[in-house]
Amino acid sequence: MNTVTKSLTRTAADATPATPALEAREVEVTYRAGAFAKTVLKGLNVTVNPGEFVCIVGPSGVGKTTLLRCLSGLLRPTAGEVRVVGRTVVAPPEEIAVVFQDYSRSLLPWMNALKNVALPLKGRGVSKAKREAKAREVLATVGLSDAAEKYPWQLSGGMQQRVAIARALAYDARILVMDEPFASVDAQTRFELEDLVLELRDRLGICVVLVTHDIDEAVYLSDRVVVLANSPASVIDTVEIDLPFPRDQIATKSLHEFAEFRGRILGEILHSRAQEK
Amino acid sequence: MKLTNRFLGILAEAWLPVALIVLWWLASAGSTSLYFPPLAEIVSVGVRDITEGPLLSYAAFSLTNLAAGLAIAIVVGVVAGVILGSSQRLRDAVNPYLQFIRSVPQVALVPLIIGALGIGALPKIWSISFACVWPVLLNTIDGVKGIDTALTDFSKSYRLSKRTHVLDMVLPAALPQIVPGVRTALAIGVIVMVVSEIYGADSGLGYYILQSGRNFAVAETWAGTILVGLLGYLLSRLFEIFEHFALRWHRESSAQARRG
Repeated sequence: MNTVTKSLTRTAADATPATPALEAREVEVTYRAGAFAKTVLKGLNVTVNPGEFVCIVGPSGVGKTTLLRCLSGLLRPTAGEVRVVGRTVVAPPEEIAVVFQDYSRSLLPWMNALKNVALPLKGRGVSKAKREAKAREVLATVGLSDAAEKYPWQLSGGMQQRVAIARALAYDARILVMDEPFASVDAQTRFELEDLVLELRDRLGICVVLVTHDIDEAVYLSDRVVVLANSPASVIDTVEIDLPFPRDQIATKSLHEFAEFRGRILGEILHSRAQEK
Repeated sequence: MKLTNRFLGILAEAWLPVALIVLWWLASAGSTSLYFPPLAEIVSVGVRDITEGPLLSYAAFSLTNLAAGLAIAIVVGVVAGVILGSSQRLRDAVNPYLQFIRSVPQVALVPLIIGALGIGALPKIWSISFACVWPVLLNTIDGVKGIDTALTDFSKSYRLSKRTHVLDMVLPAALPQIVPGVRTALAIGVIVMVVSEIYGADSGLGYYILQSGRNFAVAETWAGTILVGLLGYLLSRLFEIFEHFALRWHRESSAQARRG
């Protein structure tokens, strides 16, 4: 579980300069509430290539979730555009599956794990038998074959988050978008889930965009880290993380380079904060 | 151990009503008052009218009306509640009327409805459903209005159809509020069921109570009244059992949320 192999499909995807899987171009978001208007994001550019793992880090309240809502089509930017495989996003696209921040709010307590996971396929008009077969398959993928009939409230936090991940996988999307997915589980469970997501990325050849405020997590998981800061938020740095795969919770985090990436990103965030004050 | 606990539980709940019945039985024995006949007489008259008289068919008539009236109220209340609960604009437009109508004493409308629709079961069913629809409607609106935005985001991002969104997300999420509305409606329904049979009726428990009262058959009046009380109690207990199973997920998940 700790080691993760880098698949061939991903390397092949890297080699061809394909259309980006997901792209934010000069995105600006302004919230209006009566006479007040607050610009949260401004001139924001992010590119995610097929098969890539990109983490977006930034301090709490910087507008990470807003950006993620834009990327997943839940929020139309005030200016600029978001593109999925070259197409401008005007509504949630079928290529994207979202894992929401709080699994306790997004898993349905009146459905067992199997039904929860099968639900996204209803939107695709898949027959009931096929939905359930697919749900069982992805539950097995996240190591929850035995929990199919259990209700969310009968599962631990880590297991609930696995169900939420399985639900996104059932949707068969090319792009997995995750909003601070491991914020409410304990440290050991968090490491397990991080490795699970890395493994899924390799096995399924999907690309992952993950928002987090945890710099260690971002460096550990990513091919690339996008650093957000300032108000309104923009990208202050994009860091290519060329740490070797497979990543390992102990070996990778003990590397000298890991500490350097970590220090660089932390320094930038602290610096931007200091400037604001 | 569990069985003993259960037995003790029943005992703790039952001792007071049993004591009161015994007290009533003893205190009223040999009573010659016209309005307070001995309980023994009330019971024997009741049993007689159930086994040999019309009381059973009257009860069936009343309960059928109640079931039909409640069913209409629930369907209309839930459907309208989902629509109004989903639209702030619609709610703002309709709210003053809703507040007004629910302040009108529903029982006072019964003679009007029966006057307009005539005798028979139908006007009684309408009276019941008209009175019962409000608690269901208002509770459904509240439940739907208060739905977690995470669920709406989920439906949108997974492109679920409107139908799936309503049936699989909105209705179950609002159920913990809809159910108490139905419980209130049930209690109101029993009252309106009786009142509706006081006008233009030739059957039903209300008719039985009214007729016997007019004829100074006071034991019958008491028997009918007690029977309505017992039926009301039984229905609310049955409803509690339904609620226990239908909302199990809600109890369990809130318990888990409290544990953290």
